[in-house]
Formats: sequence, structure tokens, C-alpha cells
Amino acid sequence: MADLSVNVCGVTLKNPVIPASGTFGFGREFNELYDISCLGGVATKGLTLKPRLGNPVPRIAEGQSVILNAVGLQNPGVEAFLENDLAWLKQKTRVLANVAGSTIEDYAEICARLDGLVDFVELNISCPNVRCGGMAFGIRPETIEEVTRAAKKSLANTPLIVKLSPNVESIVLNAQAAERGGADCISLVNTFTGMVIDIEKRKPLLANTTGGVSGAGIKPIAVRMVYEASRAVHIPVIGMGGIRTAEDAVEFLMAGAAAVQVGTHNFTDTFACPKIIAGLNDWCDRHGVSHVSALTGALQ
Amino acid sequence: MREVTATILENVRIAENIFSLTFATEEEMKVRPGQFCMVGVQNFPLRRPIAVCKAEGERITVCYQLKGAGTRTLAENYKQGEKLSVLLPLGNGFFVKEEEKRVALVGGGVGIFPLISAIRAYAGEKEVYSYMGFRSRAAYCLPYELQRSDRLVVATDDGSMGYRGTAVQAFMAEIDEIKPDVILSCGPLPMLRALKKATAGRDIPTFVSLEERMGCGIGACLVCVCERTDGAHTRVCKDGPVFDINEVIL
Repeated sequence: MADLSVNVCGVTLKNPVIPASGTFGFGREFNELYDISCLGGVATKGLTLKPRLGNPVPRIAEGQSVILNAVGLQNPGVEAFLENDLAWLKQKTRVLANVAGSTIEDYAEICARLDGLVDFVELNISCPNVRCGGMAFGIRPETIEEVTRAAKKSLANTPLIVKLSPNVESIVLNAQAAERGGADCISLVNTFTGMVIDIEKRKPLLANTTGGVSGAGIKPIAVRMVYEASRAVHIPVIGMGGIRTAEDAVEFLMAGAAAVQVGTHNFTDTFACPKIIAGLNDWCDRHGVSHVSALTGALQ
Repeated sequence: MREVTATILENVRIAENIFSLTFATEEEMKVRPGQFCMVGVQNFPLRRPIAVCKAEGERITVCYQLKGAGTRTLAENYKQGEKLSVLLPLGNGFFVKEEEKRVALVGGGVGIFPLISAIRAYAGEKEVYSYMGFRSRAAYCLPYELQRSDRLVVATDDGSMGYRGTAVQAFMAEIDEIKPDVILSCGPLPMLRALKKATAGRDIPTFVSLEERMGCGIGACLVCVCERTDGAHTRVCKDGPVFDINEVIL
């Protein structure tokens, strides 16, 4: 039995496996299939100050080894989450409250509302599927630094994770901008903006025309970005992008991640996260690794 | 709701572009009429949502249409004896009240398959009137299942079999005679809209089963939503797929 616990910003996670935002709701549905207290944490569905209806359907499409989504941040709003879901989720596992806004003030306000109530706030400045806000904040280092600083000011008691977009010129400059703004941790990658066309109908498959590409097909790009970003900053990194197996998770850890998130594969295999956790333990045992945290950045 | 590794008993073509897949689960499953399952297809990240047609203890039958690469792979590569990962039973399913004795079923295209589960549930117990629309005779299938109804009217667009016209037209031609207590329907959106328009003002409880592209199938990802008449978005997979026709915008 290896020790799978990891420490991220002073918070201990029982293992480094966290379902990624948007693929897991607030955990209740998956908990009907397995006890989610086995997870390192849960990154919640992206929360906004007010409820959001999201985009028209269809909101999902498939490509080779990838999916595209354009949900558009549908969520019940932060107050509904606090009232209906947080207490339940907290007694299960660590809570990474993923938050999004349309303005810098939105981000500051929602962070203030969550401060001290959740284990982490994960700042979504990288959603490609909403017209204003979202990724608009996550493209340029200047705005990343500004929105991070505003969020951090509202978070006296809760570590701040900034979730970075891969649709950028330099992941290194953006990671450093988040760190300068006061981020305690960065997570990456969010989805790549993409598009698929139904050639018979001559129409995009997604009602939103474009959507975020995720899944196994993006993994090598995500590993490279985690590697580059983790070497450029002094704060912990949470890696994600196409993780399906414990071996995939180990790859992200070796690239520099302290923990990992699993998104798309929750749809393919409902038990993806518990299987990866069990597989990590086996992998560590087979390789004589006593603490999974020793794998972070452990490239030869 | 469970994830099961099922064993395929049969996966055969039953009509033009339509396949019937029967699998055995490890244990007996309780499936309500109108519920569905998510079937995993190797090398495709998304499971395919498919309505349950028949559920007999451990034996589950679903019928699917060849639509794209995923369903083609399911039809071509999955043979008898092979394993299949399935999430089921999912969604709310149809609900008919005790006092509702006369049940009308209006189905079109692949929409007839969830209604077959309703025929199996209510035939013998209630009076079941089925109006099933097909594109043509070549698409007609599962006659023994459909004929369990107390009355079956088959409608084809081209008149190659039965009533020439739509299932809704065939149903409306008899609605005053059969006086249904409840209507259950599934089919393409234009058909559901036509049904809503044709039955407006009659005050007959009507439930429709909706189809939407899905992500997780269990209510977590908010991919498969439809708009409710109060403006909210509701999840087809978890809050549906069956809705009161007046509750959703078609």
C-alpha cells in the first residue's frame, strides 16, 4: 500500500485524483454509483453569481478520441450551491469550487462569497463557450494577473487555483502571470477550442458552432503544457487533459503535477476515478514508490 | 442505476437501418417502461443512449438505428457472447395512474421502441391503443410486440402499409372513438409538435419521451437539456426523458 495522499497548498487530499469541473456536477449523481468519498476532491460545476441557462442544444459532439462540449456554464448559481450542495459535498471530500464571471467584479464577489467555506476556489478564466468573460480573461497575461489579484483579495482563508486555457500564445507567460497575481496553485489545461461539421447537413454539429475539445486525443499537448508551466512557476500545478488510466495520471505527475483531474473519461467509464486511484496504488507498489507525491516532477 | 458488464445474446437487423440488441445483465434489473440505458462502444468516448424496449429479468432488449460511426460499430463489431458495458436503468420512464384505463400510444420512427416497453407493461391490464408511424413498409418491425396492443394502427408516410399518413393523423382519426385517459408519445420533434397542436384543448394528460445528445447520461454534466415552459432548463437524462407535454417547449 503506497501513501497516495498529496498536499496541495497546505490542504491534504487523500489521493491526487479529482473529477474535473463540468463532468461531475456537484457529485450527487456519481455518488449514486459509488461513494465519492474515495476521491481526492471534486471540482464543482462552474459557478456564477446568478443562475445561468447555458447554450442551446446540441451541446456535445464527438471526434476521434475526443469530445467537444459547449454547455455554456449552465449552473444554479453560487447561492443555490451553498444552500443545497456544499454541506453534503464537504462531508464527502475536498471541495474545489470552480467559479466564473463576466467581469472582474463578478470574480471578486463570488470569491468573497465562498471564502472560508470551501477547500479551494478554482478560477475558471478559460471557458471557451461563453461570449463574455470566461476565456476572455484567460488569454493575455495582463488580464490573468489582474483577475487573479482581484480574486485573491477576496480570499483571505481559501487557497486560489487559477485554471488556465491552452488556447494561448504562451502557457509559460500565463502561468507566471497567475503566480504574480497571487495564485496559490494553477490547474491546466481547460479545453481547446474546436469545431466539427456534419457534412451531410453542411452545419456545425454544435449549436454553439464551436466547443471545447477534451479527451484522450489532447493528452500529449496537455502533458507538454503542464511540463512547461510547472517549470516556470513555484506554486503547485494540477494537471489534466485526456487522463484515462493510472499510467496517464503518473505521466502528468512526472510532468510536474501535484494532483490530477479527470474529465471526459467519467463519461466513457463511470468508475474512471476510483479505477485510476486503485491503479495508482498498484503502480506505486509495482515500482517501489512509497509516496505518490514523490512522483511529482520526477523526471530523470 | 448501475453499471453492468452485460453479455450479448443477440444483435440482429430487424428492419431497414434498425438493429435489435439483447443482452444479459449479471443480475435481475428492474426497468420501468420508458427508461433507457447508456451503451459503451469501444473506442468511442461517449456512450450511446438507447431506450429499453423489453426488460425480462436479466434479459434486456434495446433497438437502435444506424446513425453514425458509433452505432455502425455497435452493429458490426458486437456479436453474440461478447461483453458490453451498460449503465441502466436511467431516467424517469412513463407513469400511468391507476385510474387511467385507456392508454393511447403515438410513436414515430425509433420512437416506437420505448413505447413497446409501455405496451408490454400495460397490455392486459389496461386498454392499449397504439398508433405507430413508419417511413415505409421496409421500416416496419417487431409486429408481435406491437400486436399485444388492444388496437394497433400502423401508419406509413408512403402508404405502403396501413394508414397513409402520420401516426398523429391516424390517432386523431380515432381519438373521439377511443377516448383515451392518457397519451404517451415518442418520436421526432415535428411529430410531437403536431400531436400537441392536434390535442390542444382536449385536456387529456399527455407525456412525451424526448431524445437529446447526451454526455454522462446520469444528470451530472448538463449537456442534454430541454427548455421548460417556465424558462428553466431541465435535464433530459435525469429529469426526463419523459415529460408532461405542457411542461416543455418542443
